[in-house]
Amino acid sequence: MKRIWTLASKDFLETRRDRLALLFTVVMPLAFTAFFGLMFGGGSDRLPLAISSADHGAPATQLVSALARSGVVKTEMMTKDDAEKAVDDNKVAAALEIPAGFSAALAAGRPAELTLVSTAGSSGAQTVQTEVSALAGPLAAGERAAQAAVAVAGTPPGGDSGASAQDLKDAALLMARPLAAQSLAQPVATVRVVEAGTAAGQIPNGFVLSSPGMLVNFILFSLLTAGIALIQERRNFTLQRLMTTRVRRWELIAGKAVGMFALTFVQQIILIGAGQLLFGVDYLRDPAALLLMMVALSLFASTLGLLLAAVLSSEQAMIATTVIVSMSVAALSGAWFPLEITGPAFQFVGHLLPTAWILDGLRGIIVRGFGVADVLPAFGVALAWSAALFALAVWRFRLSD
Amino acid sequence: MSIVEVQELCKQYDPPKGVLAVDGVSFHIDKGEIFSLLGPNGAGKSTTISMLSCLLRPSGGDALVDGHSVVTDSQAVKEAIGVVPQDIALYPDMSARENLLFWGKMYGLAGAELHARVDEVLELITLVDRQKDRVEKFSGGMKRRVNIGVALLHKPRVLYLDEPTVGIDPQSRRSILDGILALRDQGMTILYTTHYMAEAQELSDRIGIVDHGKMIAVGTNEELVRSVGEEAHVELSVDHYLEGMVERWADVPGVTKAMIDEERAVLLVQDANEVLPRLFEAAAAAGSRITEVNVTEPNLEMVFLHLTGRALRE
Repeated sequence: MKRIWTLASKDFLETRRDRLALLFTVVMPLAFTAFFGLMFGGGSDRLPLAISSADHGAPATQLVSALARSGVVKTEMMTKDDAEKAVDDNKVAAALEIPAGFSAALAAGRPAELTLVSTAGSSGAQTVQTEVSALAGPLAAGERAAQAAVAVAGTPPGGDSGASAQDLKDAALLMARPLAAQSLAQPVATVRVVEAGTAAGQIPNGFVLSSPGMLVNFILFSLLTAGIALIQERRNFTLQRLMTTRVRRWELIAGKAVGMFALTFVQQIILIGAGQLLFGVDYLRDPAALLLMMVALSLFASTLGLLLAAVLSSEQAMIATTVIVSMSVAALSGAWFPLEITGPAFQFVGHLLPTAWILDGLRGIIVRGFGVADVLPAFGVALAWSAALFALAVWRFRLSD
Repeated sequence: MSIVEVQELCKQYDPPKGVLAVDGVSFHIDKGEIFSLLGPNGAGKSTTISMLSCLLRPSGGDALVDGHSVVTDSQAVKEAIGVVPQDIALYPDMSARENLLFWGKMYGLAGAELHARVDEVLELITLVDRQKDRVEKFSGGMKRRVNIGVALLHKPRVLYLDEPTVGIDPQSRRSILDGILALRDQGMTILYTTHYMAEAQELSDRIGIVDHGKMIAVGTNEELVRSVGEEAHVELSVDHYLEGMVERWADVPGVTKAMIDEERAVLLVQDANEVLPRLFEAAAAAGSRITEVNVTEPNLEMVFLHLTGRALRE
């Protein structure tokens, strides 16, 4: 075990000193995340919100205006049916229905209810709900306060005609305070959430799309560094020399695999950290589920890298093959564009690869709050693939050309 | 007392029709001696070392190293040996010290013992001052020294050196050869492969000459030279008519063998002083003019020539 760790540490040290590796493993992924994120609309983090209003009173109009000015949502007025269809089609994060009588209820001091239709577990919908509640609450409270003020204004303050203006003002405030307090104590506008179907088809956008995509893409791309290092070791006979020491063949292969795993895992920590801090992608909604996906991705990448380096004999072949394999796998898995916008055949082919499952898992964690149980299938698929790749790599592993 | 016993060792790549790289090689190495395998490139020296290092499994035969079979007890053999490969098998972007520490761990050293041993080896290869420099910045000779130092870390009982002086300057070569002799003086057993006759002659207690995978002669330098009748080696160049001259010189009394090697005639003669005038006379009689003469007293080159009919290229 000690020798495996020593072998892995040595590989890690060599990679850390390789400036070109730094470019491929950290700089380029971040640049591409920013590029694709902005291309997919990552610059605007406003969530699309469909609004259907059956009420044309002043409070309803004010609410629609306030939401239109919001920095959180991007509104679009629709009919109720179109709004619900937009939710079903994943075109909006949620649909807000303002019922007839909303304004009248507020005016009468009755609780007013808004309906928010969204997909189950949608994080976007949760954000929308918070924003609608935040804007509707003060609106309703303001309406109640105005009603209280009107009530006070309609009541003569009494006393002799010689009362001063200050006396009148004080008397009005004395009467208005309990009325306003009574009104504000009652429930104001509430938001009822109606979940429509599941969020399986919800398409994330912006950095939520690009960050995990580029993570998978460049983790696969970093196989280039590790694979070339292994080929160089074979060509400069250090692999052979290792076999003249007490190292056993299985220890050597395991050491190489652990080295690749460590490299890709650290790369993931950096890229996910950058995604969280720089691009606002919420990877940490379920750290345990995230850890499972990271392990799955590193397992797949390291065993694939080991196999490529075992099979290929030249650096040129490694470069060409890694570029083709990593790009193809990334594209098929939905790293560049969501598989949801593709046809069923493409999605089927994509999900033959573990990276498509891992991307589903990662985006599920970010967008839908997936937990460990939700990502276990993805982990299982990656584990099965990794076991097969590792067996092939061990079988084909050579010490010399 | 033998520490290495090689018995009918064979290696055939891709049997049954593949190349027979080593063909029934047998020899032994006594404890504390330098034994050289001398032969041209492709003779089977490196393949033999690879089998003795447990890197290649023999197709036939066996070898005992420190009493352990390379076929059935490879781990014990690996503990007994240190291997210096022909190529610089180091990590260029790591320093000399980092390389030694890494390889030391691979040999099973750890902790204070590892660091102490690395310090000793750095002293031995005279690279204490450059220990923190990356190996990629070293000269060829310095890299060779680190390459050797790695194999000494665990104090092996037998050291294999596979052509360790290839491609380095004369000063570095001298330094390495002196180092090897010093190791022998400290009691280490050394198996050395080379195609440089002078190195084998200078270093070795005994020499095995290999060609086409076979061991064609084994003995001390003196024994081997005596075995070919102590003949001198005469190389002659003529202005024209080389083939005809070689045929004529073959009949000159005192010439035991005459052949053409590239643009020169190569003769084996019993006494050069006596034969040379006759060779000039024969050339004059045939109308040829000798343009260059080189006389070499009996050595391993001549032994190889005598045994194979070919020159051992330096």
